Amino acid sequence: MAIDKVVRSGGAVRKIFPILQKYQGLVGLVLLLLVALFDTPHTDAPGALFHSVFFSVGNLRNVLGQLAVPGCLAIGATFVILVGGIDLSAGSAMGLLNCICATWLVHGASTPLTIAYVLFIGTLIGSVLGAIIGFTKLQPFVVTLAGMVSLRGIAFVYTNNANISGMKDQIAFFESPWLGIPIAGWILLLATAAGTVILAKTVFGRRVYALGGNSEAARYAGVPVDRVRIGAFAINGFCIALAAILFTARNSNGQPSAGMGYELDAITAAVVGGTALVGGYGNVVGTFVGALFIVCLNVLLILDGVSYYVGQGWKGVIILLAVYLQNLGRRV
Amino acid sequence: MKLGLWACSAFAAIMIVGCGSGDSGGSTSTTPGTTAEKPAGTTAGNLPLVVFSQANSADPWRQQFDAETKAAAEANKSAFKFEEQAAEDDPNKQISQIDTLMLESPKVLLVSPAEMSVRTAIEKAFDKGTSVILLDRGIPGDKYTVHIGGDNVEIGKQAGEYIAKRLNGKGIVLMIQGKGGADATNDRREGAMAAFKKFPGISVIQGDDCKYQRQAAQSYMETFLQTGKPFDAVYAHNDEMAIGAYQAYDHAATKPKTKPIFVGVDGCQQEVVQMIKDGKLDATFRYPDPGPKGIEVAAEILKGNKPKDKKIILPTELVDKSNADKYLAAHPGLAK
Repeated sequence: MAIDKVVRSGGAVRKIFPILQKYQGLVGLVLLLLVALFDTPHTDAPGALFHSVFFSVGNLRNVLGQLAVPGCLAIGATFVILVGGIDLSAGSAMGLLNCICATWLVHGASTPLTIAYVLFIGTLIGSVLGAIIGFTKLQPFVVTLAGMVSLRGIAFVYTNNANISGMKDQIAFFESPWLGIPIAGWILLLATAAGTVILAKTVFGRRVYALGGNSEAARYAGVPVDRVRIGAFAINGFCIALAAILFTARNSNGQPSAGMGYELDAITAAVVGGTALVGGYGNVVGTFVGALFIVCLNVLLILDGVSYYVGQGWKGVIILLAVYLQNLGRRV
Repeated sequence: MKLGLWACSAFAAIMIVGCGSGDSGGSTSTTPGTTAEKPAGTTAGNLPLVVFSQANSADPWRQQFDAETKAAAEANKSAFKFEEQAAEDDPNKQISQIDTLMLESPKVLLVSPAEMSVRTAIEKAFDKGTSVILLDRGIPGDKYTVHIGGDNVEIGKQAGEYIAKRLNGKGIVLMIQGKGGADATNDRREGAMAAFKKFPGISVIQGDDCKYQRQAAQSYMETFLQTGKPFDAVYAHNDEMAIGAYQAYDHAATKPKTKPIFVGVDGCQQEVVQMIKDGKLDATFRYPDPGPKGIEVAAEILKGNKPKDKKIILPTELVDKSNADKYLAAHPGLAK
């Protein structure tokens, strides 16, 4: 490929490319915002920059409200991918936790207790999956595929194959705005910050990168490989539980079928945000940007009246492009 | 530097093509005006905006629903602009789509909710002063302008009575179930069960949940035929499953001596009507498509005529060998 040669030979390119690559999600987002500038419906509502519906206050709230659930899932997925794993069970786990959360609230359990319980179960599910991978030495793909199937089944059994409705608005406050942004959006920002600190500033974080980079080398260097993997999956489970709570607040019911396919959206956000699927490379800020990119793309396509299915086609192209650009850099 | 430019411009090109291709490719907008050169909006052009949030566009009934809604909107294009989005039956996705569509300040929101939980977004839109027309599935409460749909209990009842009469009040009915928990499934079952109760000679086998899918019904029926249990009629909660069940029966090595009666619901596919004409299936009951009526009501609302009733029930129709040709002629929009 011509581009490959340019990367290999060009001196200036050699320096700029890693930077471009590191911030590829951001570059994509900026380009998307530029397109939005010229290509969205106009409005005369106050507070809208450039008289564009896309840059209105209402849309900021809209985007961050939509971002919270996929964003939390994507942050969890980033940890798992960083240790060289993958989690196909995230969508099913979120569906089950959504049902648990709704059931507890419908039966009158206190809100803090319900939230704590859902977070606990989520973390537990993640830890168990991580432990099974360590114990059986099976591929994370296979173990979490099994988790995806089983957890979905459990969700249907748990709810007796029916939606859980009749929730009062105990957790509706997650949807209400604080300083113009829904509280769910603030929680996502908080989770992103916490994820960044864990990865950049703790011993555990450095071990996560070491394990994903080369698990054999990490083992010989004295990294407790199994425990780090369980930790990463536990954090993923915690993030899934967080997403499930926010999902419950948004939908105000429990659906055993909730979250189908969300695990792939989460992986997409991480990949677009620059996380390498082979592990060991990436961070949660990139993932946040990746998830934001995808939500902004969805919103822009709707505002432009483009059919959902056409949008899906383009999303595939973007994923390919993102991974291609990453691999280019690695071969330099 | 060259590469940076290359990558940037490639990305930009893709994005622009992606957004611009909407109108030529798969856009559901019926009026031009959403291209990059001519941004459409609430103030550009003086036509009011009508938006439609569809639960999904996957099954044949929805495809016919989409096609007829689009055609009705096209016929009204001098009165309003029309945009549609489909949500893959994911209520969370549908909430996001409605929230986003509402940013364009439409005058009327048509919505066919994937689940009851979409009501959060619907009620927000209604509170903003938008007229809300619910199509097919409803939501609890009264925060909507009008609900247009068929009556699945009535359809179930008529189907049950049809089967009981064809069997002369005596026989075994195998009921192939639609997606568990869905209102349509419960109503089509309960309506039929109420009808069967009037005929003491009729007994019912509650078949599996085949999720309204042809493939699932076919697999289920293949297994059921293996057991050798007798049955005289198959009542499937939709036509796709009736077709699946018939195909399994058709290919089976061991089957009942007399051909059982096959009855479905929906009547939205040419294929089904053809199979009825060929004598493969016996009858179907049309589940009316609320799209054209919804567009008609939307146009009236824009003229200032709010509908008087909060609920508009569309009648069903029996389709059997005697009226299949007439039915095909009367409904040119049937799915292929």
